[in-house]
Amino acid sequence: MSRFDSPWRQTRLGPTGRDLCPLPDEAALIRQTRRHFLADCRIGLGRMALASLLASSPLAARGAGGTSGSPFQPRAGHFPPRARRVIYLFMAGAPSQLDLFDYKPKLTELEGKPIPPSVIQGQRYAFIQPNAAVLGPRFRFARHGECGAELSEVLPHLARVVDHLAIIRSVHTDQFNHAPAQLMVNTGSGIPGRPSMGAWLSYGLGSEADDLPSFVVLKSGGNLSGGAAMWSAGFLPSVHQGVPFRGQGDPILHVSHPPGYDDQAQRDTLDLIGRLNRERLALVQDPEIETRIRAYEMAFRMQTRAPELMDFSQETRWTLDLYGAQPGNPEAAFANNCLLARRLAERGVRFIQVYHADWDHHSQVEQGVRTQCQKTDRAAAALISDLHQRGLLDDTLVVWGGEFGRTPMVEASAALGRSLGRDHHPQAFTMWMAGGGVKPGVTVGATDELGFHPIERPVHVHDLQATILHLLGIDHRRLTFRQGGLDFRLTGVEEHHPVHEVLA
Amino acid sequence: MLIQGLRVLWPCVVLVWLSLLTGAERVSAAEVSFSRDIQPVLARNCFACHGPDEGERQAELRLDLRESAVSSGAIVPGAPDQSELIRRVFSTDPEVQMPPPRAHAVVTDAQQELLRQWIAEGANYEPHWAFVPPQRPIPPPLNDPELQRRTRNAIDRFVWSRLAGEGLRPAPEADRYTLIRRLSLDLIGLPPTPEEADAFVRDEDPLAYERLVDRLLHSPHYGERWARPWLDLARYADSNGYEKDRPRSIWPYRDWVITALNADMPYDQFSIEQLAGDMLPGATLAQRIATGFHRNTMLNEEGGIDPLEYRFYAMVDRVATTGTVWLGLTTGCAQCHSHKYDPISQTDYYRLMALLNNADEPDLILPDPDIAAQREELEGQIARLEEALPDAFPPLAGEGTLTERRRQALEEAFAAWSAAQQAHLVPWTTLRPFEMTTNLPRLEVLEDGSIFSTGDITKRDVFTLRFRLEGLPAPLTALRLEALPDDRLPARGPGRCYYEGRQGDFFLSEVTAEVDGERVTFAGASHSYGKISIGSGTADAVNVIDGEGSTGWSTAGREGEPHELVLNLKQPLPAAGVLTVELLFERHFAASLGRFRLSAAFTPEARASELPADVQALLLSPSEEWSPMARERVQREFLRRTPLLAKAREPIEQLRRSLPAFPTTLVFTERPPDNRRPTHRHHRGEYLSPREEVEPGVPAFLLAFTQEPPRDRLAFARWLVSRENPLAARVAVNQAWRAFFGRGLVETAGDFGTQAGPPSHPELLDWLACEFMDRGWSLKELHRLIVTSGTYRLSSSGTPEQRTRDPDNRLLARGPRHRLEAEILRDALLAASGLLSSKIGGPSVFPPQPASVTALAYGNETWKTSTGEDRYRRSLYTYSKRTAPFAAYAVFDAPSGESCTARRDRSNTPLQALTLLNDAMFLEFAQALAAQVVRETAAAPAEQQTTLRATNIFRRLLTRPPTDTELDALVTFQQRQRERLERGALNPELVAGQTGAAADLAAWVMTARAVMNLDETVVKP
Repeated sequence: MSRFDSPWRQTRLGPTGRDLCPLPDEAALIRQTRRHFLADCRIGLGRMALASLLASSPLAARGAGGTSGSPFQPRAGHFPPRARRVIYLFMAGAPSQLDLFDYKPKLTELEGKPIPPSVIQGQRYAFIQPNAAVLGPRFRFARHGECGAELSEVLPHLARVVDHLAIIRSVHTDQFNHAPAQLMVNTGSGIPGRPSMGAWLSYGLGSEADDLPSFVVLKSGGNLSGGAAMWSAGFLPSVHQGVPFRGQGDPILHVSHPPGYDDQAQRDTLDLIGRLNRERLALVQDPEIETRIRAYEMAFRMQTRAPELMDFSQETRWTLDLYGAQPGNPEAAFANNCLLARRLAERGVRFIQVYHADWDHHSQVEQGVRTQCQKTDRAAAALISDLHQRGLLDDTLVVWGGEFGRTPMVEASAALGRSLGRDHHPQAFTMWMAGGGVKPGVTVGATDELGFHPIERPVHVHDLQATILHLLGIDHRRLTFRQGGLDFRLTGVEEHHPVHEVLA
Repeated sequence: MLIQGLRVLWPCVVLVWLSLLTGAERVSAAEVSFSRDIQPVLARNCFACHGPDEGERQAELRLDLRESAVSSGAIVPGAPDQSELIRRVFSTDPEVQMPPPRAHAVVTDAQQELLRQWIAEGANYEPHWAFVPPQRPIPPPLNDPELQRRTRNAIDRFVWSRLAGEGLRPAPEADRYTLIRRLSLDLIGLPPTPEEADAFVRDEDPLAYERLVDRLLHSPHYGERWARPWLDLARYADSNGYEKDRPRSIWPYRDWVITALNADMPYDQFSIEQLAGDMLPGATLAQRIATGFHRNTMLNEEGGIDPLEYRFYAMVDRVATTGTVWLGLTTGCAQCHSHKYDPISQTDYYRLMALLNNADEPDLILPDPDIAAQREELEGQIARLEEALPDAFPPLAGEGTLTERRRQALEEAFAAWSAAQQAHLVPWTTLRPFEMTTNLPRLEVLEDGSIFSTGDITKRDVFTLRFRLEGLPAPLTALRLEALPDDRLPARGPGRCYYEGRQGDFFLSEVTAEVDGERVTFAGASHSYGKISIGSGTADAVNVIDGEGSTGWSTAGREGEPHELVLNLKQPLPAAGVLTVELLFERHFAASLGRFRLSAAFTPEARASELPADVQALLLSPSEEWSPMARERVQREFLRRTPLLAKAREPIEQLRRSLPAFPTTLVFTERPPDNRRPTHRHHRGEYLSPREEVEPGVPAFLLAFTQEPPRDRLAFARWLVSRENPLAARVAVNQAWRAFFGRGLVETAGDFGTQAGPPSHPELLDWLACEFMDRGWSLKELHRLIVTSGTYRLSSSGTPEQRTRDPDNRLLARGPRHRLEAEILRDALLAASGLLSSKIGGPSVFPPQPASVTALAYGNETWKTSTGEDRYRRSLYTYSKRTAPFAAYAVFDAPSGESCTARRDRSNTPLQALTLLNDAMFLEFAQALAAQVVRETAAAPAEQQTTLRATNIFRRLLTRPPTDTELDALVTFQQRQRERLERGALNPELVAGQTGAAADLAAWVMTARAVMNLDETVVKP
């Protein structure tokens, strides 16, 4: 029985069909089980229910590592998953959809003229004044693949795998500044402190990796506005927080032996620690000691496996070239991270968040987009084709996108020394998904002729999150956690739905 | 009052616990209890549609209020069969049935029967236990003579009578090594030294334990240890959060907490000062610093944000935090809609917000006497050097003594300079506006005719000032705008910028003027100084008359100084009519002026001057008329500016740059009554959807015992810690209990509402709450009470039976045993290593951590690792950066300071193992520990050294002496590693972290590192 279908839960659906009862904090679950038992006794479920609840609880036997009974024990969702893991290519800073995916010839026609006041009325902007002039698309567009999706000339590599993609051109968000908007995409809320999507998935589904964290964070490029709050476990048990990996050297903090120590010294040390801890366990009988013994053993396994994970010499030259990966070269950091993401996916990591910053083109959007595409296009496309070749694309979901879009209006400011840029545009932007359970070769949604507002199938960020959860077998309305008197979920309190048009 | 005079029936809750622990089904023939049997069923199945939330309410029916339930006919007391509720709940007709089938909710047969029985018995409602002030319960008697003998205070009678009822016995008392370790870690957050432990173990005084408690409660480290959980609640951090996450200075608040706790400031006063210290009559500096509590909210400095939106989010956080800390209530739900379970309406929520929403949020400059003395000393040096400047003046060539030629040169140059200045200086007449309007900030004319701005500012501020021209001596030819510093402004002004741009910066985009509707044209503009922050644009005066809002005048980099801008008119304005001047401040961040003055000139040659106002005034009179003092003043200014002395002034500039700044801290200042900030209800909790204005106030259900409902922040603070608030004392003692025992008597430390579980020991909770208040809200007395109980002193080793019966120790048959919190863990290891600094307070410090941790954060700030003592300060002084929390703490579940944390996780993970094993910071401790132990035993006889060293390492980390097996294991390990080090399999210098290190020392380092990783090292025993 999974944590999603215990009899206890079935009795607690709310009147609107919304789940009023959250998935309990698993640490609290065990602590509170007695309390629920008390409640359940009165409502007639009796001790059998308790027994089965305990059996299904991830903490029935407590543990830390990938061993049975740990918080990372793999668990089934609400329905059979189409994807088992996610690689999320987060383009931080917000790429210009108008120069990449959402071709608007009308903007060329209107270039230099102010945008009609009726369009812009009541909108808030970060930098520009609402009477700014229109800026046309900076690149040529063409149709590609059998699906005929329209892409900008700066995405030649993506064009080759475009038939794998489901492109959504009508995504919109509530936030118009970077930090809150990035948090919104990662955690469902603009305020720091909520659990991130990776943490929710780790919490909900556990991990399939024995010796790696269930939620890994990779980063290339400049600053990340949202900071560590973007991979936080929030109020979920802290073990589910994302673990930042580095693209070279030690992937995980402290995974190497300290200077001067070798494997044998480390093994001897762990043996001594284990031996003394076991003696203590025999005396004190505290099961936390048992957990600690296992945690140290898993730490040692992680140390043993980490070099292998990072050893790109196992990859063929052909594969390295496919991605444009150059181990050790920071200029190729995104490509290296994409390749590392595939290796992590192969090893069962549940959620791999790959950030690439530097998309914030308030000035000279043309040059900016071109440069970032040179850094990312090949590798992102390579990830799709590589996963495909290895048969991993079937159950690996790849997502690409930023935190909002960019304005059809030009940004220019003498004070800031900016010209020919685009400001933040939360009203509409483009994302794509591919792989596990995604319908290939579709384009969903459309914006008006100025690319300003969605006019067809608007997709809120929460809808997108609901879609990702859905593909992993989770009903986003039922993955909840009680905190501060509220049943929190990733997708907030309003009605949101998976985007069925992108489901295979 | 409905609930006044009612008593909550604790025995029922106890009874429930009996049933849970024995597994016996409750006998349903017993009387039905509303709190225990009915309220949860109604809450779970009915309140969502028939509860406090008017937005979701169906059929106008409330089942949470007896009056509504009865008047509607849903409940007919004493007559279940006439009650609509019973008819519906028992119905199988999908059209009639409640809850409706689509709700997927099930009221079980047993619950149905309980509802029927409850109505038959009269359908009595009871208030939720936590909403009724605690009454002091009488500690129950213990019948067992052995338990009677072991009882140390009333706590034991509550806990052990309960245990006896369960057929369980308390564990034996812990041994003395365990006791002193537990007590030290709990009271001061540091382990005892082996010497302290031995002294305690040998102490035959029957009051040895109590004396130890006394000593620890009086330790200055007590405040450091107990500040940490309070700072968790206060969401303290040293950076602003969000994207830029820049540093902020609020450590004086952190030090205030430490000082207050060390002084055992009563909790009521402690609370009042933090919530409203600024409003206390004659508020002291310390009381103002205390208001930093609610300034710990995050500040979004991202360019382009709407600052008032993030201020709203900070207010939401303040309401939530206040709710958690003093009310034990989760108010968050009511931000968007009325609470579904607790009787907090959405309006109630915003009324709570209104109580806290009337403060300005300035930086407070702290006149630190040490810094004042340092400044005085340096300023004296500067003055002396300036006085000596004439002696460095380049002399004229020619005849005469050097002194004479020098004096002449100076006089000539000074006279020329004065004349040049005088050519552009004109007399200015201050213009006092008779009317001032703005988009939002409030302007006030000060005595000197300058205008001071308070209240909220936005990205686009417009000041419109109106002046009467009648009475001016002549036609007006120029306008001068002085931007003036003021201590009340960020970085002393003159601007009000507090995020994104430089503190105290401003950006004047445009100045327009008209007389009686006629636009005034400007012929030119000049400024004394112009520089822009953020961006590469110019900051020249002409930008304010170019009709382009994105350019302007700014004086970045010279905050805290006066500056001026002069606009020359194309046509002189006759002295008649009304002059309207409009100042526009428009940037991607809020940057309007904080203090400024407008004046008029009547001659065409007016230009902006760089000179201070007093020197300008002196220069207006002919130099022959100057008094010696005036002359001295003007000449001093000349000496400060003349390029001829640039070289000679260098040491002065250097001294000036080295003037230490006074520390600042973030505080609340209540707004004046004529400028209250209105608070609105926000539809669905959205910032952009304000609705009707609300009056400040506390939700009615909490006021049942209140004579005078609070209407402002100070009254609210006083009410929160009065006996009229049923919750504050309970929440506080529960937090203390949690700190000692690892879990609260109420498990959900921040939630005492109707959805929270019942307390494990309800009477004990209330007894402690009453005791706490009766002992003058003394936290030290509360802590003393708890740690001197027999319950606290029990051994934490449980028998297998105990572990099976009560694995989580909710019944407290064993003593507490849990992993140390992140900071205490590091402090304990630091102390054991001998490196720990005992310095208390001051700016936060930067212990070593891997560069990759901060590399993930925004911006290019590097982690400048502290050197010397600061590298080894207690962990609560570690700089807390919200977006890149100190890695070694985060991995051990320390919070990031982003929101109020009433309860930390206590995880047990492989990443913790990697950190403790391999983090260079911890390795350094192991190296220091081993080195010290080896040094100390160098004089001991060789045959004893090994045992002594192993024992010493073990005891510094675990307090107790090792067993023979343990000692043997350590010695064997050390010898084996030494052997490998000696034969070169391992490198002793690398392991020991010092050149020339011997294999023996390195092997002890390895041993110390292993012991540092033992379970027992990282737990409170």
